[in-house]
Amino acid sequence: MLYSIRAKLIAGFIGVSLVVGAFSLVVGTRLLDRAVRSEALMRVSLDLNSARELYRARTRTIEVPLNVTTLGYGFLTALKERDIGDLILRLGRMADYASLDFAGIVDGKKEPLCRSGPNAVPSRRNPSANPFTTFALERGTPVSGTFVLSHEFLFEENPQLAERARIDLIPTPGTQPETKRAETSGLALGAAVPVVHDGELLGVLYGGVLLNRDTKIVDTVKDTVFHNEEYKGRSVGRASIFLNDVRISTNVPSQDGGRAIGTRVAEEVKEHVLGQKERWTRRAPVISDWYITAYEPIEDIHGRTVGILGVGVLDEKYADMRWSTLSVFVFITVLGIFAAAAVGCFVAGRLVSPIRRLIRASQQVTEGSLAPDIGPESGDEIGILQKAFKEMVGAVGRRRMESQNRLIMSEKQASVGRLAAGVAHEINNPLTGVLTYTHMLLRRKDLGEEVRADLQTIAEATERVRKIVKGLLDFSRQTTPQREKVDVNKLVNSTIALMENQALVKGVDVKFEPEENLPSVNMDRNQFQSVLLNILINGIDATKPGDRITVTAKSSDLVNEAGQEGVEISITDRGCGIAPEHLDKLFDPFFTTKEVGHGTGLGLAVSLGIVQRHGGSIRVRSEVGKGSTFNIWVPLEGRVV
Amino acid sequence: MKILVVDDERIVLESCGRVLGDRFEVRLVKSTDEALEAMSREAFSLILVDIKMPGKDGMTLMRHAKDNWPDIPVIIMSGYVTNETMEEVAKTDAATFLAKPFTPDELVEAVDQVLMKEKGHG
Repeated sequence: MLYSIRAKLIAGFIGVSLVVGAFSLVVGTRLLDRAVRSEALMRVSLDLNSARELYRARTRTIEVPLNVTTLGYGFLTALKERDIGDLILRLGRMADYASLDFAGIVDGKKEPLCRSGPNAVPSRRNPSANPFTTFALERGTPVSGTFVLSHEFLFEENPQLAERARIDLIPTPGTQPETKRAETSGLALGAAVPVVHDGELLGVLYGGVLLNRDTKIVDTVKDTVFHNEEYKGRSVGRASIFLNDVRISTNVPSQDGGRAIGTRVAEEVKEHVLGQKERWTRRAPVISDWYITAYEPIEDIHGRTVGILGVGVLDEKYADMRWSTLSVFVFITVLGIFAAAAVGCFVAGRLVSPIRRLIRASQQVTEGSLAPDIGPESGDEIGILQKAFKEMVGAVGRRRMESQNRLIMSEKQASVGRLAAGVAHEINNPLTGVLTYTHMLLRRKDLGEEVRADLQTIAEATERVRKIVKGLLDFSRQTTPQREKVDVNKLVNSTIALMENQALVKGVDVKFEPEENLPSVNMDRNQFQSVLLNILINGIDATKPGDRITVTAKSSDLVNEAGQEGVEISITDRGCGIAPEHLDKLFDPFFTTKEVGHGTGLGLAVSLGIVQRHGGSIRVRSEVGKGSTFNIWVPLEGRVV
Repeated sequence: MKILVVDDERIVLESCGRVLGDRFEVRLVKSTDEALEAMSREAFSLILVDIKMPGKDGMTLMRHAKDNWPDIPVIIMSGYVTNETMEEVAKTDAATFLAKPFTPDELVEAVDQVLMKEKGHG
């Protein structure tokens, strides 16, 4: 039972902490997950912006040197004079300087004049269309941007470039099966600048970089945008450039550890970015790892969507962050459960130990102890219980004492009663003789004065004996009260009236303070009057002339064991008081402190008997030299005892 | 007038005889049997009887007296006043009850009272 309280408490504590822990775990993880993911997506989105700027910047690093070159006097002269050798030299310098993969010049009729690298002087006629110069001549202004270059053009420019541009497609999970084996076109950044001198179009200078297998842009993104950050030996940031959906430039690692060139973008991304020309930001698998990715379309110089620029951040970093946070949550929850269990143990101990002591104490009471050890009182409800228990034990003790006293008293009365009755019977017959003959003698006229006085003494002494025997008989006469409704105020008044003469003679004032509307009591009027008389006489005897005796009658808060209400009559004198050692014996038969001849010692014993037969009680409070108070309590209805 | 006094105690009989002897003719007997015998021979105006006596007690005498001589008043005496005695006395047709010990005056008063009442009735 006790263990079960403890277990219940601990289980409750653990349960609450478990529920709170689990709830915060779930909610916290979800919130954290969302925050981390949105933060990561935001970051990747910004990273994509940075990557795009780097991509565009690369275009400018082509456009600017080209423009600068066309402004040079030497270049103009060489072009005007068609000094091919000099032009080739200048092209080569420029290409080196601007790290161009290709550069060349066409004349005003779009015929190639010369180019950097091998095949510096075009030999073939009917060359394939040059997208740079064609567009520049169409617009009549310098142009720069992204171009898709055909295999033929690349081959004419430089067979090595065509070779570099050719990318074998690698089957990629999450994509449609390849329709061709290889990508031969090239994606390039390039520019073309028409050279006009004195209103005459001398030619068009063009140049660019092939992005196929290029590492510069993507690695710059990795270095600058992602600061070459590594996580568990792998780069966190990745960048890729796609021609259509084919990865042509990337630092995403392939299965074999190289660059995953030739793999393709996921179908979903392709649909969104190439199909709907939208930015796409999502957590997605890239080759073998999960990444937080962002893609955006690449438009060529004509505004057509020709590829995709994509960046990705290794998801594992964020996943691990989530996991470590989650494990902290779990750890805290587990810690909380242990703490709850400990607190539960402590609280249960605090709660249960006083209860246990109470149980031990009640066992002690059962075994008869009336001063059980209940330990220190606690300040809570258990403290109230402990107090109530103490009070209960005290009340039980008092009751036991009272009933023991009552039992002793009634046993005393019964035995004294039996003795008294027997003695009375034996004494009364001879006493009749003594009384008769004394009185007969006293009637004689021929007695001497001395004889008459002696006879008178005999008569008085006999009268005393008669009174004593009568007292004994009264005491033993356990008559059942003849009950009737009695107005207590009236009864007290009439009793005081009976005593008035005696009080007046002694010079004692007897004052009655009645309570109005006092309920009537079902009692034996005569018996109760003798009780009041007895106590009043004692009071008057104890009181000095000039002092006062106060009698009160009032409804009492007291109830007896049967729960009956009652009336209390108090008789207070300011007399000599009763010595503490006499208080116990006050109601014993034949106990008296009065001089011989002035009391039988039966008055209070008889009075107590009468009150007890009414179901009431008499309490006495007294202080030597200050006086005594007799409180007589009787129940309103009374019961036959 | 003749009065019958019944008591097992000699001193009580003598006392009654001494007090009442001046004014009445008094027969003193020591038991119920003697009393019944006396009553069957003589006529009495009043009977004084002690309740507690060895053998047939005062109550037995009361019943016999009331059965045979219902007109004779009876005064019951007792020095042993318990609840039971008082209840028994209350059940009888006794004219009055006289508690022992009594003074001559008390006895005379009780007897006079009963006789006066009887006279009134008669």
